[in-house]
Amino acid sequence: MLVLQAIIEGVLVGGFYALMAAGLTLVFGVMDIVNFAIGALIVLGAYLSYSVCNHLHIDPFLSLLITTPLMTGLGMFIYVFLIKPIKTNRVVMSLLTMFAVATLIEGILDICYNSGFVQIHASYINNSLKIGKLNFPLIYVLSFLLSVFLLGCLFLITYRTKFGRSLRASMQNPVAARLVGIDTDRVSMITLGIGIGLAAIGGMVFGTTNAFNASSSYDIISRLLVIVILGGFGSVGGALVSAIFMLVIQDVVAVVWSPVWGSTTFYMILILVLLVRPQGLFGKKGVRAQ
Amino acid sequence: MLNLKGVFAGYGGGDILRGVDLNIEKGSITCVVGPNGAGKSTLLKVVSGLLTPRLGEVTFLGESIAGKSPQSILKGGIVQVMQARSLFPDLTVRENIELGAFLINDQKLVQKRFDEIMDQFPMVKDRLKDKAGSLSGGQQRTVEFARALMLDPALVVLDEPSMGLEPKAAASMYSYVRQMREHGRTVLLVEQNVRAGLGLATHGVVLEAGRVRLTGTGKEILENPQMKVLYLGGSTQQEDA
Repeated sequence: MLVLQAIIEGVLVGGFYALMAAGLTLVFGVMDIVNFAIGALIVLGAYLSYSVCNHLHIDPFLSLLITTPLMTGLGMFIYVFLIKPIKTNRVVMSLLTMFAVATLIEGILDICYNSGFVQIHASYINNSLKIGKLNFPLIYVLSFLLSVFLLGCLFLITYRTKFGRSLRASMQNPVAARLVGIDTDRVSMITLGIGIGLAAIGGMVFGTTNAFNASSSYDIISRLLVIVILGGFGSVGGALVSAIFMLVIQDVVAVVWSPVWGSTTFYMILILVLLVRPQGLFGKKGVRAQ
Repeated sequence: MLNLKGVFAGYGGGDILRGVDLNIEKGSITCVVGPNGAGKSTLLKVVSGLLTPRLGEVTFLGESIAGKSPQSILKGGIVQVMQARSLFPDLTVRENIELGAFLINDQKLVQKRFDEIMDQFPMVKDRLKDKAGSLSGGQQRTVEFARALMLDPALVVLDEPSMGLEPKAAASMYSYVRQMREHGRTVLLVEQNVRAGLGLATHGVVLEAGRVRLTGTGKEILENPQMKVLYLGGSTQQEDA
Protein backbone atom coordinates (compact mmCIF):
# COMPACT_ATOMS: atom_id res chain seq x y z
CA MET A 1 0.00 0.00 0.00
CA LEU A 2 2.87 2.35 0.85
CA VAL A 3 4.44 1.69 -2.54
CA LEU A 4 1.15 2.47 -4.32
CA GLN A 5 0.88 5.67 -2.29
CA ALA A 6 4.45 6.57 -3.28
CA ILE A 7 3.78 5.88 -6.96
CA ILE A 8 0.66 8.05 -7.03
CA GLU A 9 2.36 10.84 -5.10
CA GLY A 10 5.28 10.63 -7.54
CA VAL A 11 2.87 11.07 -10.44
CA LEU A 12 1.13 14.01 -8.72
CA VAL A 13 4.35 15.90 -7.99
CA GLY A 14 5.80 14.80 -11.35
CA GLY A 15 3.02 16.76 -13.08
CA PHE A 16 4.44 20.02 -11.72
CA TYR A 17 7.97 19.16 -12.84
CA ALA A 18 6.64 18.01 -16.22
CA LEU A 19 5.03 21.41 -16.78
CA MET A 20 8.20 23.29 -15.85
CA ALA A 21 10.37 20.95 -17.94
CA ALA A 22 8.02 21.38 -20.93
CA GLY A 23 8.59 25.15 -20.76
CA LEU A 24 12.34 24.66 -20.46
CA THR A 25 12.55 22.23 -23.36
CA LEU A 26 10.36 24.40 -25.64
CA VAL A 27 12.66 27.36 -25.05
CA PHE A 28 15.67 25.17 -25.80
CA GLY A 29 14.02 23.77 -28.93
CA VAL A 30 13.24 27.18 -30.42
CA MET A 31 16.17 29.29 -29.20
CA ASP A 32 18.90 26.70 -28.70
CA ILE A 33 19.59 28.01 -25.21
CA VAL A 34 19.25 26.41 -21.82
CA ASN A 35 17.26 28.76 -19.62
CA PHE A 36 19.52 28.61 -16.60
CA ALA A 37 17.35 31.22 -14.90
CA ILE A 38 14.33 28.91 -14.71
CA GLY A 39 14.99 27.95 -11.07
CA ALA A 40 15.29 31.60 -10.00
CA LEU A 41 12.24 32.51 -12.06
CA ILE A 42 10.16 29.79 -10.37
CA VAL A 43 11.25 31.14 -6.98
CA LEU A 44 10.37 34.66 -8.22
CA GLY A 45 6.94 33.30 -9.18
CA ALA A 46 6.59 31.79 -5.72
CA TYR A 47 7.46 35.12 -4.04
CA LEU A 48 5.08 37.03 -6.32
CA SER A 49 2.21 34.68 -5.43
CA TYR A 50 3.23 34.90 -1.76
CA SER A 51 3.09 38.72 -1.88
CA VAL A 52 -0.16 38.88 -3.84
CA CYS A 53 -1.85 36.39 -1.48
CA ASN A 54 -0.63 38.27 1.61
CA HIS A 55 -1.56 41.74 0.38
CA LEU A 56 -4.80 41.05 -1.45
CA HIS A 57 -5.88 38.10 0.73
CA ILE A 58 -6.80 35.97 -2.24
CA ASP A 59 -6.42 32.29 -3.01
CA PRO A 60 -2.99 31.21 -4.35
CA PHE A 61 -4.61 29.84 -7.51
CA LEU A 62 -6.31 33.20 -8.11
CA SER A 63 -2.98 34.99 -7.64
CA LEU A 64 -1.93 33.37 -10.93
CA LEU A 65 -4.23 35.75 -12.77
CA ILE A 66 -1.84 38.52 -11.75
CA THR A 67 1.52 36.76 -11.62
CA THR A 68 1.30 34.78 -14.87
CA PRO A 69 0.82 37.80 -17.19
CA LEU A 70 3.53 39.65 -15.26
CA MET A 71 6.02 36.82 -15.67
CA THR A 72 5.05 36.28 -19.33
CA GLY A 73 5.78 39.97 -19.91
CA LEU A 74 9.10 39.58 -18.09
CA GLY A 75 9.99 36.67 -20.40
CA MET A 76 9.26 38.77 -23.49
CA PHE A 77 11.22 41.67 -22.00
CA ILE A 78 14.23 39.39 -21.40
CA TYR A 79 14.09 38.21 -25.00
CA VAL A 80 13.72 41.64 -26.59
CA PHE A 81 16.28 43.49 -24.47
CA LEU A 82 18.79 40.81 -23.45
CA ILE A 83 18.73 37.87 -25.88
CA LYS A 84 17.78 39.37 -29.24
CA PRO A 85 20.58 41.98 -29.28
CA ILE A 86 23.21 39.22 -29.01
CA LYS A 87 24.62 38.95 -32.53
CA THR A 88 27.68 36.75 -32.15
CA ASN A 89 28.31 33.49 -30.30
CA ARG A 90 24.65 33.52 -29.40
CA VAL A 91 24.40 30.13 -27.69
CA VAL A 92 27.18 30.75 -25.17
CA MET A 93 26.31 34.41 -24.62
CA SER A 94 22.64 33.55 -24.06
CA LEU A 95 23.63 30.98 -21.45
CA LEU A 96 25.72 33.58 -19.64
CA THR A 97 22.92 36.13 -19.92
CA MET A 98 20.39 33.76 -18.36
CA PHE A 99 22.88 32.94 -15.62
CA ALA A 100 23.24 36.68 -14.97
CA VAL A 101 19.44 37.04 -14.87
CA ALA A 102 19.26 34.22 -12.29
CA THR A 103 21.92 35.84 -10.11
CA LEU A 104 20.22 39.23 -10.37
CA ILE A 105 16.81 37.80 -9.42
CA GLU A 106 18.28 35.90 -6.48
CA GLY A 107 20.04 39.03 -5.25
CA ILE A 108 16.93 41.20 -5.52
CA LEU A 109 14.77 38.59 -3.77
CA ASP A 110 17.35 38.28 -1.01
CA ILE A 111 17.23 42.06 -0.45
CA CYS A 112 13.42 42.30 -0.63
CA TYR A 113 12.48 39.23 1.41
CA ASN A 114 15.62 38.49 3.49
CA SER A 115 16.88 34.92 3.50
CA GLY A 116 14.30 33.46 5.88
CA PHE A 117 12.05 30.65 4.65
CA VAL A 118 8.42 31.45 3.82
CA GLN A 119 5.50 29.43 2.49
CA ILE A 120 2.30 30.37 0.66
CA HIS A 121 -0.71 29.61 2.81
CA ALA A 122 -4.32 28.79 2.08
CA SER A 123 -7.04 27.28 4.24
CA TYR A 124 -6.89 23.92 2.44
CA ILE A 125 -3.09 23.51 2.24
CA ASN A 126 -3.05 20.85 4.96
CA ASN A 127 -6.22 19.04 3.81
CA SER A 128 -6.06 15.57 2.31
CA LEU A 129 -8.05 13.69 -0.25
CA LYS A 130 -8.89 10.18 0.90
CA ILE A 131 -9.33 7.45 -1.69
CA GLY A 132 -9.84 4.04 -0.05
CA LYS A 133 -7.00 3.62 2.38
CA LEU A 134 -4.83 6.13 0.59
CA ASN A 135 -4.43 9.79 1.59
CA PHE A 136 -3.22 12.47 -0.80
CA PRO A 137 -2.44 16.09 0.11
CA LEU A 138 -5.17 18.14 -1.58
CA ILE A 139 -2.70 20.77 -2.80
CA TYR A 140 -0.78 18.04 -4.69
CA VAL A 141 -3.98 16.87 -6.37
CA LEU A 142 -5.04 20.43 -7.31
CA SER A 143 -1.56 21.25 -8.60
CA PHE A 144 -1.52 18.06 -10.64
CA LEU A 145 -4.91 18.85 -12.19
CA LEU A 146 -3.73 22.38 -13.02
CA SER A 147 -0.54 21.00 -14.57
CA VAL A 148 -2.49 18.48 -16.68
CA PHE A 149 -4.85 21.23 -17.84
CA LEU A 150 -1.98 23.54 -18.79
CA LEU A 151 -0.06 20.76 -20.52
CA GLY A 152 -3.22 20.06 -22.53
CA CYS A 153 -3.39 23.76 -23.48
CA LEU A 154 0.27 23.68 -24.43
CA PHE A 155 -0.38 20.63 -26.62
CA LEU A 156 -3.32 22.33 -28.34
CA ILE A 157 -1.30 25.50 -28.94
CA THR A 158 1.61 23.50 -30.34
CA TYR A 159 -0.33 21.11 -32.58
CA ARG A 160 -3.58 22.85 -33.44
CA THR A 161 -2.71 26.51 -34.07
CA LYS A 162 -0.86 28.47 -36.72
CA PHE A 163 1.51 29.74 -34.04
CA GLY A 164 2.16 26.14 -32.97
CA ARG A 165 3.05 25.18 -36.51
CA SER A 166 5.47 28.09 -36.75
CA LEU A 167 6.88 27.07 -33.36
CA ARG A 168 7.51 23.50 -34.48
CA ALA A 169 8.97 24.70 -37.78
CA SER A 170 11.32 27.09 -35.94
CA MET A 171 12.41 24.26 -33.66
CA GLN A 172 13.26 21.98 -36.57
CA ASN A 173 14.88 24.37 -39.02
CA PRO A 174 15.05 28.07 -38.09
CA VAL A 175 16.60 29.26 -41.36
CA ALA A 176 14.03 27.44 -43.49
CA ALA A 177 11.34 28.82 -41.17
CA ARG A 178 12.50 32.36 -41.95
CA LEU A 179 12.47 31.55 -45.67
CA VAL A 180 8.77 30.63 -45.55
CA GLY A 181 7.98 33.91 -43.82
CA ILE A 182 7.95 32.90 -40.16
CA ASP A 183 9.15 35.68 -37.89
CA THR A 184 11.43 33.52 -35.76
CA ASP A 185 12.22 36.44 -33.44
CA ARG A 186 8.52 36.79 -32.64
CA VAL A 187 8.22 33.02 -32.13
CA SER A 188 11.23 33.09 -29.77
CA MET A 189 9.83 36.04 -27.84
CA ILE A 190 6.43 34.38 -27.34
CA THR A 191 8.03 31.03 -26.48
CA LEU A 192 10.25 32.57 -23.80
CA GLY A 193 7.17 34.44 -22.56
CA ILE A 194 5.26 31.16 -22.30
CA GLY A 195 8.21 29.37 -20.66
CA ILE A 196 8.59 32.08 -18.01
CA GLY A 197 4.81 32.47 -17.64
CA LEU A 198 4.73 28.78 -16.74
CA ALA A 199 7.39 29.54 -14.11
CA ALA A 200 4.84 31.78 -12.38
CA ILE A 201 2.47 28.82 -12.13
CA GLY A 202 5.27 26.49 -11.09
CA GLY A 203 6.34 29.01 -8.48
CA MET A 204 2.90 29.11 -6.92
CA VAL A 205 2.77 25.29 -6.78
CA PHE A 206 6.30 25.12 -5.39
CA GLY A 207 5.57 27.81 -2.82
CA THR A 208 2.43 26.12 -1.52
CA THR A 209 4.06 22.70 -1.20
CA ASN A 210 7.48 23.80 0.11
CA ALA A 211 8.98 26.40 2.40
CA PHE A 212 11.34 28.44 0.26
CA ASN A 213 13.83 31.29 0.19
CA ALA A 214 15.80 33.00 -2.58
CA SER A 215 18.35 30.17 -2.70
CA SER A 216 15.76 27.44 -3.28
CA SER A 217 16.31 27.77 -7.02
CA TYR A 218 19.38 25.51 -7.10
CA ASP A 219 17.49 22.35 -6.18
CA ILE A 220 14.79 23.14 -8.77
CA ILE A 221 17.17 23.88 -11.64
CA SER A 222 19.25 20.75 -11.01
CA ARG A 223 16.15 18.56 -11.02
CA LEU A 224 14.70 20.21 -14.11
CA LEU A 225 17.94 19.91 -16.03
CA VAL A 226 18.16 16.24 -15.15
CA ILE A 227 14.56 15.72 -16.33
CA VAL A 228 15.13 17.53 -19.61
CA ILE A 229 18.44 15.73 -20.26
CA LEU A 230 16.87 12.34 -19.56
CA GLY A 231 13.85 13.10 -21.74
CA GLY A 232 16.02 14.51 -24.52
CA PHE A 233 16.55 18.24 -25.00
CA GLY A 234 13.84 19.68 -27.23
CA SER A 235 11.37 16.83 -26.66
CA VAL A 236 8.24 17.92 -24.77
CA GLY A 237 6.92 14.34 -24.59
CA GLY A 238 10.30 13.20 -23.27
CA ALA A 239 10.17 15.86 -20.55
CA LEU A 240 6.73 14.65 -19.41
CA VAL A 241 7.66 10.98 -19.25
CA SER A 242 11.01 11.73 -17.64
CA ALA A 243 9.47 14.00 -14.96
CA ILE A 244 6.91 11.40 -13.90
CA PHE A 245 9.55 8.64 -14.05
CA MET A 246 11.99 10.60 -11.90
CA LEU A 247 9.52 11.48 -9.18
CA VAL A 248 8.01 7.99 -9.04
CA ILE A 249 11.45 6.35 -8.79
CA GLN A 250 12.48 8.82 -6.13
CA ASP A 251 9.35 8.30 -4.02
CA VAL A 252 9.27 4.52 -4.35
CA VAL A 253 12.96 4.13 -3.47
CA ALA A 254 12.46 6.48 -0.52
CA VAL A 255 9.65 4.27 0.80
CA VAL A 256 11.07 0.79 0.20
CA TRP A 257 14.72 1.61 0.87
CA SER A 258 15.70 4.98 2.26
CA PRO A 259 14.91 8.63 1.46
CA VAL A 260 18.67 9.21 1.14
CA TRP A 261 18.76 6.84 -1.85
CA GLY A 262 15.72 8.35 -3.57
CA SER A 263 17.50 10.96 -5.66
CA THR A 264 20.75 8.96 -5.86
CA THR A 265 19.00 6.05 -7.57
CA PHE A 266 17.47 8.37 -10.12
CA TYR A 267 20.83 9.94 -10.95
CA MET A 268 22.31 6.45 -11.35
CA ILE A 269 19.55 5.56 -13.81
CA LEU A 270 20.20 8.82 -15.63
CA ILE A 271 23.88 7.93 -16.07
CA LEU A 272 22.99 4.44 -17.33
CA VAL A 273 20.47 5.81 -19.84
CA LEU A 274 22.92 8.42 -21.12
CA LEU A 275 25.60 5.76 -21.60
CA VAL A 276 23.24 3.86 -23.89
CA ARG A 277 21.35 6.84 -25.42
CA PRO A 278 23.42 10.04 -25.09
CA GLN A 279 20.59 12.02 -26.71
CA GLY A 280 18.21 11.04 -23.89
CA LEU A 281 15.13 8.81 -24.04
CA PHE A 282 13.23 10.77 -26.69
CA GLY A 283 15.86 13.13 -28.11
CA LYS A 284 17.03 12.85 -31.69
CA LYS A 285 20.58 13.02 -32.97
CA GLY A 286 21.12 16.11 -35.11
CA VAL A 287 17.43 16.93 -35.24
CA ARG A 288 18.09 20.50 -36.24
CA ALA A 289 19.26 21.38 -39.72
CA GLN A 290 21.14 24.46 -38.59
CA MET B 1 13.53 42.44 -62.93
CA LEU B 2 16.24 41.91 -60.29
CA ASN B 3 19.25 44.20 -60.28
CA LEU B 4 22.35 44.15 -58.14
CA LYS B 5 24.74 47.08 -58.35
CA GLY B 6 28.13 47.15 -56.62
CA VAL B 7 27.06 44.69 -53.92
CA PHE B 8 29.53 43.94 -51.13
CA ALA B 9 28.49 41.39 -48.50
CA GLY B 10 30.03 38.92 -46.07
CA TYR B 11 29.73 37.34 -42.65
CA GLY B 12 31.90 39.56 -40.47
CA GLY B 13 35.24 38.09 -41.47
CA GLY B 14 35.60 40.17 -44.65
CA ASP B 15 33.52 40.49 -47.80
CA ILE B 16 32.61 37.43 -49.82
CA LEU B 17 30.88 39.45 -52.53
CA ARG B 18 33.15 42.25 -53.74
CA GLY B 19 31.20 44.51 -56.02
CA VAL B 20 28.70 42.27 -57.76
CA ASP B 21 26.75 43.78 -60.68
CA LEU B 22 23.97 41.61 -62.05
CA ASN B 23 20.77 41.96 -64.01
CA ILE B 24 18.19 39.18 -64.06
CA GLU B 25 15.67 39.44 -66.87
CA LYS B 26 12.02 38.63 -66.43
CA GLY B 27 11.07 35.15 -67.62
CA SER B 28 14.67 33.93 -67.71
CA ILE B 29 16.43 31.04 -66.07
CA THR B 30 19.74 32.44 -64.86
CA CYS B 31 22.34 29.98 -63.66
CA VAL B 32 25.21 31.21 -61.49
CA VAL B 33 28.30 29.02 -61.55
CA GLY B 34 31.74 29.35 -60.07
CA PRO B 35 34.30 27.57 -57.92
CA ASN B 36 33.78 26.89 -54.23
CA GLY B 37 34.01 30.08 -52.20
CA ALA B 38 33.14 32.28 -55.19
CA GLY B 39 30.14 33.65 -53.28
CA LYS B 40 27.29 31.88 -55.09
CA SER B 41 25.26 30.99 -51.98
CA THR B 42 26.10 34.37 -50.41
CA LEU B 43 24.63 36.06 -53.47
CA LEU B 44 21.37 34.13 -53.03
CA LYS B 45 21.25 34.99 -49.32
CA VAL B 46 21.49 38.68 -50.19
CA VAL B 47 18.61 38.31 -52.65
CA SER B 48 16.37 36.43 -50.18
CA GLY B 49 17.13 38.76 -47.25
CA LEU B 50 19.06 36.28 -45.09
CA LEU B 51 22.11 38.53 -45.42
CA THR B 52 22.21 42.32 -45.52
CA PRO B 53 24.71 43.73 -48.02
CA ARG B 54 27.36 46.04 -46.56
CA LEU B 55 27.33 48.22 -49.65
CA GLY B 56 25.49 48.41 -52.93
CA GLU B 57 21.97 48.35 -54.30
CA VAL B 58 19.58 45.45 -54.73
CA THR B 59 16.30 46.24 -56.50
CA PHE B 60 13.43 43.99 -57.45
CA LEU B 61 10.78 45.30 -59.84
CA GLY B 62 12.19 48.76 -59.26
CA GLU B 63 12.01 48.65 -55.45
CA SER B 64 15.01 48.47 -53.16
CA ILE B 65 15.10 45.22 -51.18
CA ALA B 66 18.60 45.48 -49.69
CA GLY B 67 18.42 44.92 -45.93
CA LYS B 68 14.73 43.97 -45.93
CA SER B 69 13.65 40.97 -43.86
CA PRO B 70 13.09 37.59 -45.57
CA GLN B 71 9.42 38.01 -44.67
CA SER B 72 8.98 41.26 -46.61
CA ILE B 73 11.04 39.96 -49.53
CA LEU B 74 8.76 36.91 -49.67
CA LYS B 75 5.75 39.21 -49.71
CA GLY B 76 7.36 41.03 -52.62
CA GLY B 77 7.43 37.82 -54.66
CA ILE B 78 10.87 36.21 -54.18
CA VAL B 79 11.01 32.68 -52.78
CA GLN B 80 14.21 30.77 -52.03
CA VAL B 81 14.71 27.02 -51.81
CA MET B 82 17.76 26.35 -49.67
CA GLN B 83 20.78 24.27 -50.61
CA ALA B 84 20.57 21.72 -47.81
CA ARG B 85 17.35 19.86 -47.18
CA SER B 86 15.05 22.54 -45.89
CA LEU B 87 11.89 20.66 -44.99
CA PHE B 88 10.64 20.35 -41.43
CA PRO B 89 11.22 16.61 -40.99
CA ASP B 90 8.73 15.97 -38.18
CA LEU B 91 5.92 17.85 -39.89
CA THR B 92 3.79 16.05 -42.48
CA VAL B 93 4.19 16.73 -46.19
CA ARG B 94 0.85 18.60 -46.15
CA GLU B 95 1.96 20.77 -43.21
CA ASN B 96 5.25 21.53 -44.98
CA ILE B 97 3.50 22.60 -48.18
CA GLU B 98 0.90 24.66 -46.34
CA LEU B 99 3.71 26.47 -44.53
CA GLY B 100 4.71 27.78 -47.95
CA ALA B 101 1.58 29.94 -47.71
CA PHE B 102 2.29 31.02 -44.14
CA LEU B 103 1.95 34.68 -45.10
CA ILE B 104 -1.48 34.23 -46.68
CA ASN B 105 -4.41 34.62 -44.28
CA ASP B 106 -7.14 33.86 -46.83
CA GLN B 107 -7.77 30.13 -46.29
CA LYS B 108 -9.75 29.81 -49.54
CA LEU B 109 -6.78 31.13 -51.49
CA VAL B 110 -4.46 28.76 -49.64
CA GLN B 111 -6.71 25.81 -50.54
CA LYS B 112 -6.89 26.94 -54.19
CA ARG B 113 -3.11 27.19 -54.42
CA PHE B 114 -2.75 23.85 -52.67
CA ASP B 115 -5.04 22.16 -55.23
CA GLU B 116 -3.09 23.71 -58.11
CA ILE B 117 0.19 22.53 -56.63
CA MET B 118 -1.20 19.00 -56.23
CA ASP B 119 -1.98 18.95 -59.96
CA GLN B 120 1.58 20.04 -60.76
CA PHE B 121 3.26 17.55 -58.42
CA PRO B 122 1.21 14.32 -58.41
CA MET B 123 3.87 12.46 -56.41
CA VAL B 124 3.27 14.76 -53.47
CA LYS B 125 -0.45 13.98 -53.44
CA ASP B 126 0.19 10.35 -52.43
CA ARG B 127 2.45 11.26 -49.50
CA LEU B 128 0.55 14.11 -47.85
CA LYS B 129 0.14 12.36 -44.50
CA ASP B 130 3.73 11.10 -44.30
CA LYS B 131 6.37 12.83 -42.23
CA ALA B 132 8.58 14.85 -44.58
CA GLY B 133 11.69 13.29 -43.04
CA SER B 134 10.62 9.85 -44.28
CA LEU B 135 10.83 10.84 -47.98
CA SER B 136 13.77 10.16 -50.29
CA GLY B 137 16.10 13.01 -51.28
CA GLY B 138 14.38 13.52 -54.64
CA GLN B 139 10.92 13.45 -53.09
CA GLN B 140 11.99 15.97 -50.45
CA ARG B 141 13.28 18.29 -53.18
CA THR B 142 9.94 17.96 -54.98
CA VAL B 143 8.07 18.92 -51.80
CA GLU B 144 10.43 21.89 -51.37
CA PHE B 145 9.58 23.02 -54.91
CA ALA B 146 5.87 22.54 -54.25
CA ARG B 147 6.13 24.56 -51.03
CA ALA B 148 8.02 27.34 -52.79
CA LEU B 149 5.22 27.77 -55.33
CA MET B 150 2.45 28.21 -52.73
CA LEU B 151 3.06 31.96 -52.66
CA ASP B 152 2.87 32.12 -56.47
CA PRO B 153 6.27 33.88 -56.60
CA ALA B 154 7.51 35.96 -59.51
CA LEU B 155 11.13 34.94 -58.84
CA VAL B 156 12.22 31.52 -57.58
CA VAL B 157 15.73 31.29 -56.16
CA LEU B 158 17.19 27.78 -56.10
CA ASP B 159 20.42 26.91 -54.34
CA GLU B 160 21.91 23.80 -55.96
CA PRO B 161 18.65 21.99 -56.70
CA SER B 162 20.39 18.81 -57.88
CA MET B 163 22.76 18.49 -54.91
CA GLY B 164 22.82 14.98 -53.48
CA LEU B 165 20.34 13.60 -56.00
CA GLU B 166 20.84 10.60 -58.27
CA PRO B 167 20.76 11.46 -62.01
CA LYS B 168 17.10 10.51 -62.58
CA ALA B 169 15.89 12.61 -59.64
CA ALA B 170 18.14 15.49 -60.74
CA ALA B 171 16.62 15.31 -64.25
CA SER B 172 13.15 15.59 -62.68
CA MET B 173 14.25 18.69 -60.78
CA TYR B 174 15.51 20.29 -64.00
CA SER B 175 12.20 19.56 -65.70
CA TYR B 176 10.39 21.24 -62.77
CA VAL B 177 12.64 24.27 -63.25
CA ARG B 178 11.68 24.42 -66.96
CA GLN B 179 8.01 24.14 -65.97
CA MET B 180 8.42 27.09 -63.63
CA ARG B 181 9.60 29.21 -66.54
CA GLU B 182 6.76 27.94 -68.75
CA HIS B 183 4.36 29.14 -66.04
CA GLY B 184 5.83 32.63 -66.37
CA ARG B 185 8.19 32.59 -63.41
CA THR B 186 11.75 33.82 -63.41
CA VAL B 187 14.35 31.46 -61.96
CA LEU B 188 17.72 32.27 -60.45
CA LEU B 189 19.72 29.20 -59.59
CA VAL B 190 23.15 28.25 -58.38
CA GLU B 191 24.39 24.92 -59.65
CA GLN B 192 27.56 22.90 -59.03
CA ASN B 193 26.82 20.73 -62.06
CA VAL B 194 28.01 23.38 -64.50
CA ARG B 195 27.03 21.63 -67.73
CA ALA B 196 23.56 20.69 -66.56
CA GLY B 197 22.91 24.09 -64.99
CA LEU B 198 24.08 26.16 -67.97
CA GLY B 199 22.42 23.72 -70.39
CA LEU B 200 19.13 24.42 -68.66
CA ALA B 201 19.60 28.18 -68.33
CA THR B 202 18.75 30.96 -70.74
CA HIS B 203 21.42 33.10 -69.09
CA GLY B 204 24.65 32.23 -67.36
CA VAL B 205 26.81 34.08 -64.86
CA VAL B 206 30.29 33.08 -63.78
CA LEU B 207 31.21 34.27 -60.34
CA GLU B 208 34.81 34.22 -59.18
CA ALA B 209 36.25 35.55 -55.92
CA GLY B 210 33.09 37.54 -55.24
CA ARG B 211 32.95 39.26 -58.62
CA VAL B 212 31.09 38.59 -61.86
CA ARG B 213 33.67 37.28 -64.31
CA LEU B 214 31.51 36.34 -67.32
CA THR B 215 27.90 36.79 -68.40
CA GLY B 216 26.02 35.64 -71.48
CA THR B 217 23.54 33.06 -72.60
CA GLY B 218 23.92 29.61 -71.08
CA LYS B 219 25.30 28.33 -74.39
CA GLU B 220 27.80 31.18 -74.74
CA ILE B 221 29.15 30.60 -71.27
CA LEU B 222 29.45 26.87 -71.84
CA GLU B 223 31.35 27.42 -75.07
CA ASN B 224 33.60 30.17 -73.77
CA PRO B 225 37.22 28.89 -73.98
CA GLN B 226 38.12 30.59 -70.70
CA MET B 227 35.25 28.76 -69.04
CA LYS B 228 36.33 25.40 -70.41
CA VAL B 229 39.79 25.75 -68.94
CA LEU B 230 38.78 27.32 -65.64
CA TYR B 231 35.65 25.44 -64.63
CA LEU B 232 35.35 22.34 -66.77
CA GLY B 233 38.87 21.16 -66.09
CA GLY B 234 39.70 21.21 -69.80
CA SER B 235 37.46 18.18 -70.35
CA THR B 236 35.60 19.85 -73.19
CA GLN B 237 38.91 20.46 -74.94
CA GLN B 238 39.63 16.76 -74.72
CA GLU B 239 36.18 16.01 -76.07
CA ASP B 240 36.75 18.50 -78.88
CA ALA B 241 40.06 16.86 -79.64
